[in-house]
Amino acid sequence: MNDMRLAERAVDMSDNKITAKGVQVYYGDTHAIKDVDVEIKDKTVTAFIGPSGCGKSTFLRCLNRMNDTIDSARVEGQICIDGEDIYDPKVDPVQLRAKVGMVFQKPNPFPKSIYDNIAYGPRIHGLAKNKADLDDIVERSLRRGAIWDEVKDRLHAPGTGLSGGQQQRLCIARAVATEPEVLLMDEPCSALDPIATAQVEELIDELRENYSVVIVTHSMQQAARVSQKTAFFHLGHLVEYGETGQIFTNPQDSRTESYITGRIG
Amino acid sequence: MSDATATPGAATPRGHQPASLLTPDARTKRRNAAEGRFKLYGIIALGIGLIFLVSLLWAIISNGTSAFTQTFITVDVPLVEAELDETGNRDPAEMAKVSTFGYKPLIAAALERQIDEIGIETEIDGKDLADLLSSSAPAQVRDQVLANPDLVGQTVEFRLLASSRVDGYLKGRVTRESLARDKNLSPEHLDVVDKLRAADALEKTFNWDFIFGADASESRPEQAGIGVSMIGSFFMMLVVLFLALPIGVAASIYLEEFAPKNRFTDFIEVNISNLAAVPSIVFGILGLAVFIQFAHLPQSAPLVGGLVLTLMTLPTIIISTRASLKAVPPSIRDAALGVGASKMQSVFHHVLPLAMPGILTGTIIGLAQALGETAPLLLIGMVGFIASNPPDGLASGFLDPNSAMPAQIYEWAKRADPAYYERAWGGIIILLLFLMTMNIIAIILRRRFERRW
Repeated sequence: MNDMRLAERAVDMSDNKITAKGVQVYYGDTHAIKDVDVEIKDKTVTAFIGPSGCGKSTFLRCLNRMNDTIDSARVEGQICIDGEDIYDPKVDPVQLRAKVGMVFQKPNPFPKSIYDNIAYGPRIHGLAKNKADLDDIVERSLRRGAIWDEVKDRLHAPGTGLSGGQQQRLCIARAVATEPEVLLMDEPCSALDPIATAQVEELIDELRENYSVVIVTHSMQQAARVSQKTAFFHLGHLVEYGETGQIFTNPQDSRTESYITGRIG
Repeated sequence: MSDATATPGAATPRGHQPASLLTPDARTKRRNAAEGRFKLYGIIALGIGLIFLVSLLWAIISNGTSAFTQTFITVDVPLVEAELDETGNRDPAEMAKVSTFGYKPLIAAALERQIDEIGIETEIDGKDLADLLSSSAPAQVRDQVLANPDLVGQTVEFRLLASSRVDGYLKGRVTRESLARDKNLSPEHLDVVDKLRAADALEKTFNWDFIFGADASESRPEQAGIGVSMIGSFFMMLVVLFLALPIGVAASIYLEEFAPKNRFTDFIEVNISNLAAVPSIVFGILGLAVFIQFAHLPQSAPLVGGLVLTLMTLPTIIISTRASLKAVPPSIRDAALGVGASKMQSVFHHVLPLAMPGILTGTIIGLAQALGETAPLLLIGMVGFIASNPPDGLASGFLDPNSAMPAQIYEWAKRADPAYYERAWGGIIILLLFLMTMNIIAIILRRRFERRW
């Protein structure tokens, strides 16, 4: 891991975007997330790493209340975005999800055209006043998703006809089309080949300029490559959270060290 | 690290056989034999099924096709003014006072003269000769005359229905031997029939009245048709489609996507599955009790039949709709929710279009099932009713007594006259054609709505 130039990475120390305090998640009787406190900074890529089943995806899904769709899931504690508690009863999760976009593990474009995939979010949120406006949003989103050049000539071809990497970038473009402030990514590269992975990682680095990105990944190399901050989860606990360089070179907790060196996980 | 490399030089690394791939060992042989046997059972089962299917189709077609042809006798009937229109002013209301009994002697005389002119010698006298014709012949002439009063006074050529015995003789069902014990027609009549046929005055043609006509009384099988009960079936299917499809789809979407998963919804689910297995006659008696005895809807009406069949079809539609909703990958729901769609938007914009082929297939299968259902109709009085007139208008189509195709077939199969036997089989052919059409529509819709990419 000596090629990662960890020391060169400058961390932007802007304000906290997301603040979680004492978060507990239960699936029925299973206690999946145990008392997690974390502060996620704006315009930063934060990586969640940890062995399978450690709760990193569960925690990620708390941040846009996707766990609400699971009947047995119960979330306690406080998660604030820009100082507002997103689990306040007055918060409509639908509105929240427009603000906190999400990209999933498996590319899941709608079985519609590329154009409709991107335009769907802006349409239902009323972001475009007319057709030209919508065209504009679609183009801008596809450019941000770094896929515009590949699809600009076939916007009305089905989105599911693209390759896996293209589909995932289409999904990222779809997520940014609703102008979110936070972008959650749940293992966005696990279904992709190395070349597509590299493209998506490059894209994530670019997205950092505008969004607060939280990425769950199984690959420690990926976390080291793309993130500025890293959180290590183990058995539902947030074991260690700090700057990526520090986590990978000088972990404070023995469990983190064991995981990074490949002894657990 | 395998055992073979651990013990180099051993002749039988796995202890019990020479390791040649060219000779299958005993275990492999046994497994292959078992597989071969299983394939054979499968082929035998398939063969038996095919034999049943072919013999069924052969029986239906060989017995039923004759219902689609009918024997007619061409007779020149002089429409005598003195008999049919005494006043002479051609007023249909006046002329309607002359009943079919007024026409009967005219037709009998005309037939006798015709036979004479052709040069057929027979000992049967004029009155008995008229037995060659259907007893509906006078009504047939009268209807045409009343529709067009100017025909009175002329001699008009009519194609009159032959009686079912004559028709049966041409179709090979009736023989001279069988007529020896039959008081409706004598073997001598058949000699006349042969000669009439040679003179082209008697012919067997395609029978449109069987497809479009109404049922007839028990003694006139030659006149009976399935058309009116077809209309009854059509109105019932309208009721089923417009009630069962929206109710069923709405119920399944709610249960599958919105309802909380608890004991109560589990209980409902179990009961819907159970309802699908309830014998249809139970729905019939429910319909009798609720729709007719309690709600006082008209008896034998397609509206009531449709309501009963809706109850019967709902579980089928709900089960198939839920299955196709379940089959939509959850990642599509996540994707929609992830961009901030509400639950309802995610269902109606993304899940439902993907589930559409399954929903439509289930609905059409349910409709086809309802179309062929007889038992519940027994209890609400749609069987045994002789639907003699097609409904005149929408309200009458829903509310007037009628029958349905399978009920009509059952009714014909029940009647004593062997001429009704071929009509029952013919009705089955028409019913099967409808079911086949519906299944083809289901396949086409499924193909069309299937995820195109």
